[in-house]
Amino acid sequence: MSDAAPSLLSINNVEVIYDHVSLAIKGVSIEVPRGGMVGLLGANGAGKSTLLKSVSGLLKTERGEVTRGEVRFDGRNIDALTPQERVELGIVHVLEGRRVFEHLTPDENLVAASAVRGGRADMLRNRERVYGYFPRLHERRTAQAGYLSGGEQQMLAIGRALMTQPRLLMLDEPSLGLAPFLVAEIFEIIRRINREEQLSVLLVEQNAIAALEVVSHGYLIENGRIVMHDSSEAMKKNPDIQEFYLGGGAARDFHGIKHYRRRKRWLT
Amino acid sequence: MDWTLFAELAVNGALSGLMYSLVAMGIVLIYKSSSVPNLAQGALTMLSAYIVLAIAGALKAPLWLAIPLAMAVMFGIGMGIERVALRRLAGRPIIMILMMTLGLDIFVRAATMTLWGGTARPLPLGISDAPLFLGPLLLNRAYVVGALVALVLFAVFFFFFRTRRGIVLRAIADDYTASWSVGISVERGVALSWAMSSVVATAAGVLWGSIQGVDQSLSQLLLKGIAVAVLGGMDSVGGAILAGILLGVIENTASGFLDPLVGGGSRDLVVAAILVLTILVRPHGLFGREDIERI
Amino acid sequence: MFLRQSGIHHASYSADRALFPIPFDRWAVAVLLAFGLAAPWLVSSLTLSTYLLPWIVWTTAALGLNLILGWAGQFHFGYAAIMGIGAYATVHGTRHGIPFEIAIVLGGLTAAAIGVVFSFTALRVKGLYLALSTLALQFCMDWVISHVPAISGGTQATLQAPPLKILGQGVSSETGYYYLALAWCLLVTVFMLNLKRSSLGRALVAVREKDFAAAVIGVNSFYYKLVAFATSSFIGGVTGAVLIFSFYHAVTPEQFAVNVSIEVLAMVIVGGLASIIGSFFGAAFILLMPGLMNALITWVSARLGLGLSVETLAHLPHAVYGALIIAFLLVEPMGLGKLYNNVRNYLLVWPFGYTRK
Ligand SMILES: Nc1ncnc2c1ncn2[C@@H]1O[C@H](COP(=O)(O)OP(=O)(O)OP(=O)(O)O)[C@@H](O)[C@H]1O
Ligand SMILES: [Mg+2]
Repeated sequence: MSDAAPSLLSINNVEVIYDHVSLAIKGVSIEVPRGGMVGLLGANGAGKSTLLKSVSGLLKTERGEVTRGEVRFDGRNIDALTPQERVELGIVHVLEGRRVFEHLTPDENLVAASAVRGGRADMLRNRERVYGYFPRLHERRTAQAGYLSGGEQQMLAIGRALMTQPRLLMLDEPSLGLAPFLVAEIFEIIRRINREEQLSVLLVEQNAIAALEVVSHGYLIENGRIVMHDSSEAMKKNPDIQEFYLGGGAARDFHGIKHYRRRKRWLT
Repeated sequence: MDWTLFAELAVNGALSGLMYSLVAMGIVLIYKSSSVPNLAQGALTMLSAYIVLAIAGALKAPLWLAIPLAMAVMFGIGMGIERVALRRLAGRPIIMILMMTLGLDIFVRAATMTLWGGTARPLPLGISDAPLFLGPLLLNRAYVVGALVALVLFAVFFFFFRTRRGIVLRAIADDYTASWSVGISVERGVALSWAMSSVVATAAGVLWGSIQGVDQSLSQLLLKGIAVAVLGGMDSVGGAILAGILLGVIENTASGFLDPLVGGGSRDLVVAAILVLTILVRPHGLFGREDIERI
Repeated sequence: MFLRQSGIHHASYSADRALFPIPFDRWAVAVLLAFGLAAPWLVSSLTLSTYLLPWIVWTTAALGLNLILGWAGQFHFGYAAIMGIGAYATVHGTRHGIPFEIAIVLGGLTAAAIGVVFSFTALRVKGLYLALSTLALQFCMDWVISHVPAISGGTQATLQAPPLKILGQGVSSETGYYYLALAWCLLVTVFMLNLKRSSLGRALVAVREKDFAAAVIGVNSFYYKLVAFATSSFIGGVTGAVLIFSFYHAVTPEQFAVNVSIEVLAMVIVGGLASIIGSFFGAAFILLMPGLMNALITWVSARLGLGLSVETLAHLPHAVYGALIIAFLLVEPMGLGKLYNNVRNYLLVWPFGYTRK
């Protein structure tokens, strides 16, 4: 990236420690360009959610802290800001596992999230925009959110995030537990929002096939370290990715696995 | 069976029950906007009555001025409690939070006693003692006033929880982390709920203080407040009103018939029994939200 | 430093599973035990009967509550009522001529039976609602005890406990009372220590962590909650009886009122959930603190000539007590037991602190 136009989000060499002892990510650097759509792939426990929390400021509530490195948003260091101030800057984090406000209706969920900015007119306009993207939510706008289907809840979680009028949308495993056609639908909507509103997206996924279809660049994180960074086309072609994340690769011999492990260790 | 006596017990029970609703409403306000069950609500009620008296005494102010001033002070105290005691406990296990409110209860009660002493003081609101006749029924005027205040507050909060700010508070009660993630200031919301609840406690403290005098026994309204709050559903303002009426009627009639049999003092037993039965039969109360467990 | 371990290096399972795997702990326990046994000769009889004895009895109560609260994770805000039931049952038993040894067991069993009633709410609800329902049950028990003359011995009455006789021998000295309390305390402590490494203890922890998940892996959470309530109530009931026979010598309803329940609860929380050593610390803290505060405040007000009124002096220690509970939850929510463990863990590897990292 050139210095003239710094990326919207740049994470530089960040290290996160939980509970003063457990080291969850170890010097990770990631860039999300303006209007770009970047994917972050990795297995369970790799540190994907932790990384997002270090950007949205939610680490503190889980006794975690950024002990090294810095997070810059729009060229500005945001490490000292509260979660609320970060949302005001335009960073929003859609949490893993949906986490809608279960006892509120979709309508109220969206209202609650609009509290940070704008008057009532703004809020109503915004809500119509969200219902425009997710017509299905509109149909169920007065049901209790806890009883929506998983897919509808995910849409609501994303819609709720959009209510804060973000510049950077961070999604943590939006495909979790959803049927493939729904995943495709949701990803398509995300791509549409990305294109129409120039909203930058950082997409965390385990579902590499679906994710690499929509993002332009991808990072691969393992054991708290970035081990690969490339365009999504290149990543899709990478034999290691194909074998371990895309489920492809006919010949699954042990030699290959050993080779991969060795290479991975060398990288870390 | 003497039906006039029964009806009189029932109606006066309903009125005093609405006054329990005032205490319950304070508990509900906090629970509905932060999921913290406040066991210090009785102590706050007592404290507020003492503060009214202290302001009236110190400023030589009439009660109609002292009461709003005391409400302002209590608003600040509510904010302060959140800041000092609860902020650091956000997201901790419920047992810690319960213990914290119990500690607050002990502290507030003892501090009040330390400052002002335990002798009962009158708090005359100027409500006449003359009974009010409703047909053949004798009503207590003080209870009527208290019941009206409860209904007005109910209306206020009923609408408040449908405003944007009210919805935000309900969202906080649902999920702290998700609230943070969309930029809601959880701390401010919880502080606001404690402040509002402290103001409601002032209303309850003044009304109850005018009826039974201002002393330590005001803090024992906690049991009744909790019973009403649970019966109505911990997060339902309307539930607190209906449950207050229900509990008041049952308490008054049941103890009216039981007291002669057991030699008095059966009120607390009836209330405690209602609390246990509610929890056994319908833990989320009449109108409370049921916890949604999806797998 | 004193522990001389630099880490834990067991060479066999039996060493790993020993009650006190570290030699220093074994020595510490032996010294404390010796002190406990020799206490009547080491401290004045006043200290023995006003500090040591109540401390030991309340520690036992805190251990009993810790079993249900710390291990099984079930809230119990009515523990004093359970203790009261044991106490009343034992006193009535002995007054009717049942030997003390049998009466106290019967008292414990009565308490356990009532405790099982408490547990029925635990089978239905948990968390806040369990706390509130046990609190309400405490009120009901209080009411029944004080309003049924057959139990309380008449309204507002104190019921005298008959002179203590163990195995036909009359016990009437402070030393004798102390040994009774100490014996029971040791028994419960050993039981709790062993609970940690028994399948019962592990099942309870499983129920605490997630009763639904525990049920899935074949732990009958229904059964274990019942067992936990019954056992804990038995301990509570016997402790209540010991408290009456060794300390109060007469029983009144106020001795087991709701504020006492909260006091025991505070002991457990201040000491640390599921911490045995913590229960000892917590009981000491909650028991001694009001007295110390009282002395301190009187002393300060005399020195500074504050001229505090009697009423102020009576209530101030309570305010401090409440404030200390609050402060404790803010500073070290895991309790004194955790603080002790922190120090111990530090010393365990001293001076090679980095081995833990
Ligand atoms: N609150 C916490 N306290 C302590 N350790 C934590 C905490 N949250 C996460 N960790 C640890 O940090 C590491 C990274 O966890 P993280 O949740 O970021 O993984 P992830 O990549 O999001 O995994 P998944 O795909 O399963 O969501 C894991 O080893 C986890 O055990
Ligand atoms: Mg994750």
